[in-house]
Amino acid sequence: MRLLQKIFSSAEFGPLILLIGEIVVFTTLSPAFLSAGNISNLLAFTPELGMITLGMTLLMIAGEFDLSVGSVFGFAPVLMWTCYNTHFTSLFVGFLIAMGVAALIGFANGWLVTRLKIPSFLVTLGMLLVVRGTALYLTSGFPQRTWSATSFLTNAIAGEFPVGELRIYTSLLWFVGLAILSGYVLTETKTGNWIQASGGNPEAARARGVRVNRTKIMLFVLTAIISAYAGITSSIRVFAANPNSGTSYELEVIAMVVIGGTALSGGRGSIIGTVIGVLILRVMRNGIVLIGVPGLAYNIFIGAIILGMMALHSWLERRHYAR
Amino acid sequence: MTKLVRLLVSCTVAAALFLPISGSAEEGKQVYYWVSHGSPSDPVWTYFLQGAEQWAKDTGNTVHTSFHSGDVPSHQEAIRAAISAHARGIVTSTPDPGSLTKVISEAHAAGIPVIIMNTEDKTSGRDAYVGGDNIAIGHRWAQYLVDHDFVKKGDFVWMPVEVPGATYQKLETEGIDSVFKPLGITYEVTEAKLDQAEIITRMSDYLTANRSKIKAIIGLGDLVTGSIKRVFDQVRVKAGDIPVVGWGNSPDTAQEVIDGYVNAAMWQDPQATSYMALSMASMAASNIPIGFDISVGTLYEKAKAPTYLKVLQGASHK
Repeated sequence: MRLLQKIFSSAEFGPLILLIGEIVVFTTLSPAFLSAGNISNLLAFTPELGMITLGMTLLMIAGEFDLSVGSVFGFAPVLMWTCYNTHFTSLFVGFLIAMGVAALIGFANGWLVTRLKIPSFLVTLGMLLVVRGTALYLTSGFPQRTWSATSFLTNAIAGEFPVGELRIYTSLLWFVGLAILSGYVLTETKTGNWIQASGGNPEAARARGVRVNRTKIMLFVLTAIISAYAGITSSIRVFAANPNSGTSYELEVIAMVVIGGTALSGGRGSIIGTVIGVLILRVMRNGIVLIGVPGLAYNIFIGAIILGMMALHSWLERRHYAR
Repeated sequence: MTKLVRLLVSCTVAAALFLPISGSAEEGKQVYYWVSHGSPSDPVWTYFLQGAEQWAKDTGNTVHTSFHSGDVPSHQEAIRAAISAHARGIVTSTPDPGSLTKVISEAHAAGIPVIIMNTEDKTSGRDAYVGGDNIAIGHRWAQYLVDHDFVKKGDFVWMPVEVPGATYQKLETEGIDSVFKPLGITYEVTEAKLDQAEIITRMSDYLTANRSKIKAIIGLGDLVTGSIKRVFDQVRVKAGDIPVVGWGNSPDTAQEVIDGYVNAAMWQDPQATSYMALSMASMAASNIPIGFDISVGTLYEKAKAPTYLKVLQGASHK
């Protein structure tokens, strides 16, 4: 009974019910929803956005957020494939260069936020434009060819293999592994305590010896690296590295994290909640295409579900404090 | 908490009870998927959408439509959803060359024909193509400016576009370059965005700064070409002072051609493109082999502009 009460009162319970409700509705509407083909389809794109949400969750718990993740998602693969297609480097070295540049972008974000005390909204909005503009300038707007290169690296990042009738990409394994690792770090390690303390009450955390600035810079770097990796994964899987890739992903990622129960104000959140949040929006996007919601009404559903989840969170929070 | 659980369970049950009714309404109908890489805020895509809706109405089939704003992963996911749903046919535009090759082969493996509309990708393995040839269209715009002596060697042409990097921009620029480069005519592509107010602001700023060197303008998209009059009026450039060619699939541009702001505009016939593409998908699904593509596109001038304006106003007033 206590276990049930614990489950009901957890922050992840509301999103979980919503996810189950979505699956019931879409399965009722379209039997193809739970087909092997569609589940494979759902699991193809989910890890790419999902990986970014893991970094964003940790960053948001630490009291900051990053609007440049979508542009880094587009820029990193463009940089990697440009290095490779122009015969400047091998694919692996191009990959390392892209990840290194992403780390620098993250470091710049973190440094500007923590040292110059500029709000992360403004810093990362500026960085979004700089990175997107650089991607466009670098390519003159043209996408990079990706489909001619198959190597150990591309197979390791986004290779596909069958599991029964399902087609699974290795990116799903990376996502699951990263989620477990992030969850462990957040809940079981000193670093996790520092992350939560940095977002909950930074001054009190500093007074207790938490290196708040260093923690935040590290998280900005981590988020940028994960975004770059997710973008490279996507470019390999979809055979396209377009400088416009990842446009508006930042908002979708933040919505997923918030739907999963992470507070916009920082200090509170969970990886399990974020994974459920990712699934809620991905299932919604997949399902409404499958059942034939009119194209122009698409965003109504996405917006409504975000509003609904926010209302649910607000209600749960008030109940929690009323007790 | 109990109330909340009850509420959520009730909603789920209510949805589950209601939805089979709406689902059963589609029983017996053939379901086609129409997948666009365009933005729902781009007016020209509303004409494409109208063509798809009209086809569904005329034939009694169901057409599921979705927009993906150039997002390749989301676009691929929609096509794979159509395959999972055993669509009778898929009509899609191409977000990037090569980006749909794999999903098209998956659709074919499932016995589903795929017709590409609007943005061609010959190597994708598609069953047929309906739409304009963007390279040829770019070539025609550039050749029009050269043939009418609007530009010559050493001149500069400004080419605003909503989204630099979009497939249509890349292909059109390739066609334009094939004419301008040998003649020593230079050009610049600038970003105008998809929001009308921002388009006018950005274009006005650019025109103000570069008025003296711009000898002609090519509007690479419908929104930018349809904004020419407002930009010229804001910067105080008279109609006809700078020759303009570009897309003409909006009432704004058709009116601009009539008023002399735009010299010639390209009519892509978006409704017909969707309608014909779905018809071809239906044919292919009925095992009628398709050995041809359908090419659309007419460069209209002042004399024919009222015809297209009438069509466009009729469409937009429905």
